[in-house]
Amino acid sequence: MAIVNRAEGRAYLTPLVGFLLFFLGFPAAVNLVYSISTVSFETLRSPSLSGFGNYAAVLADREFWGAVSFSMRFGVLTALAECLIGLFLAVFLTPLLARRSYLMAPLMLPLMVAPAMIGLMYRLVLHEFAGPVPYYLFEWFGDSPAFLDVDNAFRTLLVVEILQWTPFAFLLFYMAYAAIPLEVREAASLDGASALKALWWIELPLMLPTLVIAFFIRFIDGFRVFDNVYALTGSGAGGSTTSLSIYIYQAFFKGGAIGKAVAASVVLFLASLAVLYGLNWITGRGRR
Amino acid sequence: MLNLLRWLVFSIVVLAMNFPVLVTVITSLKSARELSFNPGFWIGEPTLENYMRVLGETDRFNIYGYLFNSTVASLIGTGLAIALAFPAAYAIARSEAGNRTLLPLIINLRAVPLIIFAIPLYMMYQWLGLLDTQLGLGLILTIVNTPLALVILVNAISDVPSELDEAAKMDGASSRQVMLMIIRPVVRPALVTTFIFGFITAWNEFLFGLMLTTSRAVPMTVGASFFFAASGGGVQWGTASAVMVLGALPPALLGLLMYRQISASLTAGAVKG
Repeated sequence: MAIVNRAEGRAYLTPLVGFLLFFLGFPAAVNLVYSISTVSFETLRSPSLSGFGNYAAVLADREFWGAVSFSMRFGVLTALAECLIGLFLAVFLTPLLARRSYLMAPLMLPLMVAPAMIGLMYRLVLHEFAGPVPYYLFEWFGDSPAFLDVDNAFRTLLVVEILQWTPFAFLLFYMAYAAIPLEVREAASLDGASALKALWWIELPLMLPTLVIAFFIRFIDGFRVFDNVYALTGSGAGGSTTSLSIYIYQAFFKGGAIGKAVAASVVLFLASLAVLYGLNWITGRGRR
Repeated sequence: MLNLLRWLVFSIVVLAMNFPVLVTVITSLKSARELSFNPGFWIGEPTLENYMRVLGETDRFNIYGYLFNSTVASLIGTGLAIALAFPAAYAIARSEAGNRTLLPLIINLRAVPLIIFAIPLYMMYQWLGLLDTQLGLGLILTIVNTPLALVILVNAISDVPSELDEAAKMDGASSRQVMLMIIRPVVRPALVTTFIFGFITAWNEFLFGLMLTTSRAVPMTVGASFFFAASGGGVQWGTASAVMVLGALPPALLGLLMYRQISASLTAGAVKG
């Protein structure tokens, strides 16, 4: 006896599917149509099809490739740093945290604060007159770098992102580390493996799937970054901090280049699909 | 010795990660006079004057409006996501329906950059009259919350032995009754976690608030940024800090109270991803 038969199952799924189709399917279709149309805010209801000019314009736009480059570098570097630091913290701090789970709360707090809010907070932290960091740097060293100028903005944003999201990677590794069966560790130490050797040859390989997944999740989130960058620099510093998401936002709202913004959206969508399939392929193989 | 080192690393990491929050709280407790000459960590005379101003001068600061908008939109976005995801999760956990294609598709939605839907949604909202409304924002937050809600609930329901359902069916219950009267109470903890986590996510969302609201339905994350766009005279750091603290407080408090449950749900999507 099936607990939920076919018709019932369909009935339970319908509201969700209908909702998503309406709020995502329709926009996706609009994206596709507008991306091959000539359209402005005046002609939103009557776009005229015009071929692939918008795509050509986007792909020829240096700012677009600048944004792609920013997003790629930002995604890879933050994901890498978050995973490395998170892994170190998980392995090194587990003896401390295992019996004192309340210590997890302050570690997880950054994840509870809105990225946009964190971006705003760093505007205060790094402000040359009101911020404590430049204040103390001047006090102690007589000089403070301009954290948000063209030369430093990218590095500053990296640090901001890494400080907020390392806890996420840490949490994944902490759970994966805790999930390694006790017998595995005992067997390793009986065979005379040092703690370091056991970590490298046994525990890390066991955690490898989690490492891959964490890296990809953090890469994707870093790649599409919007909130904290927008709140902290507003893509400023001579456009050196324009992520792909911010590029699309600005093409639409500031430039009124709807066709271009929409074409860039479709490109971004295809790129993220490619990454997702890559991820599924890798983790699928990892499990086999 | 090693343990001492662990405490040291732990303290440094916690301090570094929570540094911006700490600075903001400290700044919010300084008087305007003190702020002008002391950007450091110590406070000469802690004062609540910034909070009094932000909360008291309602004609100048729309803080209650922002808080209210965030609350309403987040409640809609979380409640609706659960209402849609719960029956779907039951169907997925207890039958073949949707297991192969729908579930992975929706999980992958979590990784799609939301900006790509934002522009057509803006146009769609203009036609539907949903721009700058709490309902409009709430509907989008529903989409943001759906992937994780579905994953958490499918996992939770799958963990319930199906003998429970079968027994109830033997007694003549319909599957709808089983879902609502047997399963719902059993997975209540998962529903609560989903709700708390969804509420935090919705409260912290920024992009759609920025794009789809302008005045009446502006949420807290966007409203806080207005305090930095002040024209002339520069940013009032004291009041701006108080606003940020008030805006970050609800999700932070919820998170601190529920961190155990939330750590599981944070990673739920990843492990099954």
